[in-house]
Amino acid sequence: MSVPYRTQRVAYPYFVIALLLFVLQVVVGIWLALSYAVTIPQWLVDVLPFSTTRAIHTNLLVLWILLGFMGTTYYMIPEESERELYSPKLAYAQLALLTGVGVTAIVGFIFGWTKGKPLLEIPFPLDWLIVVGALIFLFNVGITIIQARRWTVIQGSLFGGLVFLAAMYLFNLPFYNNLTIDWYYWWWVIHLWVEGAWELIAAALTAWILIKITSVPRETVEKWLYVELGLFLFTGITGTGHHYYWLGAPKYWLWFGGVFSALEPLPILLMVMDAGHYVRNRRMEIKGKLIFTLATGMAILHLIGAGFWGFLHTLPQINYYTHGSQVTVAHGHIAFFGAYVLLNLMFFYYAMPKLKGLEEFDERRGTLAFWWLSITMMLMTLAFSVAGVLQTYIERVMGMGYMTAQAQMRFWFAILVVLGIVLLGGVVLTVVDLLTLRPAPAGVKSKTG
Amino acid sequence: MSWKTAKIIFYAGTLVSLVLFLWLTVDTHRQVASLTHADQLGPEVIAGKVVWHKYNCNDCHTILGFGSYYAPDMTKAYWRLGAEGIKAVVRNPEKFTTWRKMPRIPITDNELENLVAFLKWTSEIDTNEWPPQDQKLRPVAGRAVKLGLSPGAALFQEKGCFACHRLNETGGLLGPDLTRVGSRVPYETIEKVLTDPRSVKPDGIMPPTALSHEETKAVAGFLAEMK
Repeated sequence: MSVPYRTQRVAYPYFVIALLLFVLQVVVGIWLALSYAVTIPQWLVDVLPFSTTRAIHTNLLVLWILLGFMGTTYYMIPEESERELYSPKLAYAQLALLTGVGVTAIVGFIFGWTKGKPLLEIPFPLDWLIVVGALIFLFNVGITIIQARRWTVIQGSLFGGLVFLAAMYLFNLPFYNNLTIDWYYWWWVIHLWVEGAWELIAAALTAWILIKITSVPRETVEKWLYVELGLFLFTGITGTGHHYYWLGAPKYWLWFGGVFSALEPLPILLMVMDAGHYVRNRRMEIKGKLIFTLATGMAILHLIGAGFWGFLHTLPQINYYTHGSQVTVAHGHIAFFGAYVLLNLMFFYYAMPKLKGLEEFDERRGTLAFWWLSITMMLMTLAFSVAGVLQTYIERVMGMGYMTAQAQMRFWFAILVVLGIVLLGGVVLTVVDLLTLRPAPAGVKSKTG
Repeated sequence: MSWKTAKIIFYAGTLVSLVLFLWLTVDTHRQVASLTHADQLGPEVIAGKVVWHKYNCNDCHTILGFGSYYAPDMTKAYWRLGAEGIKAVVRNPEKFTTWRKMPRIPITDNELENLVAFLKWTSEIDTNEWPPQDQKLRPVAGRAVKLGLSPGAALFQEKGCFACHRLNETGGLLGPDLTRVGSRVPYETIEKVLTDPRSVKPDGIMPPTALSHEETKAVAGFLAEMK
């Protein structure tokens, strides 16, 4: 079996590049953990400071996740619109542009070419080239949808999320004189991406895949999508306030941020129940046990990371002590992994076999990689959390000084170096498996029920 | 659940939150000028913010708790280190760090002055008393009165010694706490340090004080009494 539309093939190079960047991101991450655990000599810090490698680690994350979303969108749109993509050439040009900008930016960071704003370090004029890339993407997808004249809730949610994503990036472009205002709008990019636009895209793409591999009728899926998105946006938009407690904004944000972000786990909980609903309703003969494993794992880790860790960390009474500590790092790692890394891997495992013409593939390596990654990331989260609690208590509660706390945390970063290397093994296994998918061997087949 | 209910949940949920959020944003803009003392936000402060971005300080240090977590938070750095302290650390980070290093950057004197202006302005932002660990360093109005009315005490305050030194739980952490300095160090040594810091501690970081002979005697006398 191959893909029904020829232009769906543009997705493949997006996936390959995303996967390679994922490997690189984790390699740089190990270096960051090492920088916390041991002394990096002064001469090396002078030429390659932590700030540079940190910028590379986070930018690689954003880049590969977004390339994954874009690839999946290009894979899905022809099938959902029931027509070929408007322009595969534009899709390839966009990939070349964005990858080129990403690589230039990373090399630039090493030479001190930066905007100096965390996560949004990409400087002028590269940031405008990103806007151009985003516009090409929206144009290509938009024209395809318009010409098809086949409106679905999934398309609407996906396209709405993509426009939302591109629009929020614009708040990154001006220079703000006032530091408080600067951070206020920085969160319009970061928070409204991960708890707004990205959720819309993720929910739409997940809903589409679940329609494809279960017997649940489209109508049910799309109704759930409406409800979930309503709750995500209701809690997520005003939930931005949980970043506004201590930055020089009015005190009422403690209330609005606190209450709305306490509600943020609700839509995720609904999503987990929803996943259970799909699992119960899937038809026995439908293939794709690994996809279900990834979908369930994603829902559960999303709930643990974004939901549970996020809930605790954003209560103002706790956040007063944990804000800007390794607790933030713990939450960041498990939330991104649960919500967006597993999501992308699920897309890749859905689309890549079909792009290679495989009806069924050998899922054993992929399943092993899923457990390997998920367990290691959970352990990493616990190690970050222990370090974060130590920091919170020694530095914030006892007031014993930043470096006194860091000295007590070194052991846990040594553990994180080891866990990072283990994680890298899992990532390499995932990437190798996805790039060398094999047909299911006889005997392993049909155990998917 | 009907289509109608699902759509109502979507549109009502999104719109209610969006309207509320935008309304709060407008109100925040109304209040932010007074919360951040925007009247003090001069060209040096803005130039200092450019310096802060230029050297990517924020990908090691947090500020307002945002950024990277590799180095201390800079929101109240001015309270901790004072102007001279910040300059000393940025000029010679290798002297102030032990097992975790800070990069040496090719910063100019003018850039450094602006960076200090930026961090001074930042320390005045009303952050709802965050971060907790720096609140004890909050500059106290009328500190000179608490120290008594001796000319030495007044000079200690005026000349900015508090930027690096602490007296009775107030002041910076960069230099030694001087609360009981009189019981450790004799008057003559204090006078020598004030005249030429390097003559007592050749590898020290304390800058020359530029006090007159009479002023030196007054401050040394005041400190020698701190027992």
